[in-house]
Amino acid sequence: MRRPAPATVRRLILVLILVLWELVPRTGLLAELFLPSLSKTLTVLIQNFDEYGEALLVTLYEVALAMTIACGGGILVGALVGGLAVLRNLLLPVFSSLYAVPIVILYPIFTAWFGIGSESKIAFAGVYGFFPVMLSTAAGIQTIDQSFLVAARSMGASLPQQITRVVIPASIPTVLSGLRLGGALAIIGVVVSEMLTSAAGIGYLVSRYRTVLDSPRVFAAILMILVLSVLFDALARWVERRTLVWQTAGRRDRTSAQGETIAGAPAPA
Amino acid sequence: MQHLANVSELRGAKAHAAAIEVAGLSHVYAGREGQVPALEDIALTVGAGRFVVIVGPSGCGKTSLLMMMAGLRNQTSGTILCAGRPIDAPDPDRVGVVFQEASLFPWLTALDNIEFPLSIRHAPREERRRRANAMLELVGLQGFGGRYPHELSGGMKQRVSIARGLVQDPPVLLMDEPFAALDEQTRMTMGHELLRIWSQTAKTVVFVTHSLTEAVYLADEVLVMSARPGRIIDRVDITLPRPRTYEMMATDVFGRLRERIWQQIRKAT
Repeated sequence: MRRPAPATVRRLILVLILVLWELVPRTGLLAELFLPSLSKTLTVLIQNFDEYGEALLVTLYEVALAMTIACGGGILVGALVGGLAVLRNLLLPVFSSLYAVPIVILYPIFTAWFGIGSESKIAFAGVYGFFPVMLSTAAGIQTIDQSFLVAARSMGASLPQQITRVVIPASIPTVLSGLRLGGALAIIGVVVSEMLTSAAGIGYLVSRYRTVLDSPRVFAAILMILVLSVLFDALARWVERRTLVWQTAGRRDRTSAQGETIAGAPAPA
Repeated sequence: MQHLANVSELRGAKAHAAAIEVAGLSHVYAGREGQVPALEDIALTVGAGRFVVIVGPSGCGKTSLLMMMAGLRNQTSGTILCAGRPIDAPDPDRVGVVFQEASLFPWLTALDNIEFPLSIRHAPREERRRRANAMLELVGLQGFGGRYPHELSGGMKQRVSIARGLVQDPPVLLMDEPFAALDEQTRMTMGHELLRIWSQTAKTVVFVTHSLTEAVYLADEVLVMSARPGRIIDRVDITLPRPRTYEMMATDVFGRLRERIWQQIRKAT
């Protein structure tokens, strides 16, 4: 028998988890308090769609602004720090150490400064997502193969042209991976801060229903966040694939390309 | 009669006008232990249309010398004239460069890589395509224009690199160990191909290499450099007829020329 494709196995695992989610509570292996069944969770979600929809909109609004701050600020500062040796030596060690600090301990300060509304979530999650974007942008610019720049200079490229035609395309792969991580952290930052202190958003629903032990409603909120994160990741991957077509082009149809070479003239050395 | 002879001499001189003239060139760089003399009193003339190969022990500064001819590095003292005018910055109209690593931009297809020097000077799109395609054909890669660098073999990458160096039609092509990273067979093929391209385009070529066989096989004239500080210690005319063939490598003349250069390098180290 042929070994099944990895994609098929992945789908099967997902289906298995969903089936277990339904069966384990139903058979009474786990009490509903610990794990409400999938169908019950979905029913609660649909019945309370107004409440959850409204919370989702709040969360999405906060996530969108936090991502803008994280990505925009991260790319801007990262480009400056990666591009200018003075700033790099001055700031990079500081930023790298800050990245290791659990920034969530600063959240109380954010609420003190910005209140418990959306502003504190946006600011906190923006800062949370800023670091990976900024660090990977700086790394992407710093680690550009110098021979690319020498070659561009030999072809008469001016400094602005070296930046737009070489530095930017060469650093896009690292920047994109930073954006994916930074975006994911922005989602985490928003949800966590909503869970800590707030009056709106999905994170707020999770913590509010947890305190009253309403498990189906807690899981409904968790399910929404899961779907949100997975969708974001899929979107980020899709953008990466579309942008970095030059890294993978031809990999998939290598065999057909070889066939063409054999049929035609022999390939040059 | 005397007067006429002078005129014809003058014409002859013009026909063999110097493509590159280096005079009194020295270079000192600041190393860890103070000032390090890298190049000392280099004087050389490369006649138009000639194929000149520079050989020498590792670290003798032959690559530095080539980079100075390309305007990519500045010498401490002395002059480099190309087509009668000093070179102090890259000038792709006068000098094309082919590097050891093909240094092709991985995010551009072979054709876009060849077009790059034209596109940074805003040449019209149609002309760019036409000239890049002509170069692709010249280097024997027709049909491979849409491939990305990672889809090309090492030899094919260097072909693209040569095409990129020639696309602006400079009279001089500088090549820095372009085949050093290739396997022996590909290297021989590429040397042969380079001679074909050279004879079709009538360029002046200055070629740096470690391989004495390659040097004798390719050159009109081999310049031998000493160990640091690099000086030119010998100038060997390669009297083998053209077109060169692989069989010539087995001849006594070839062996004697190779041996003479080898002895010079041994003495110099």
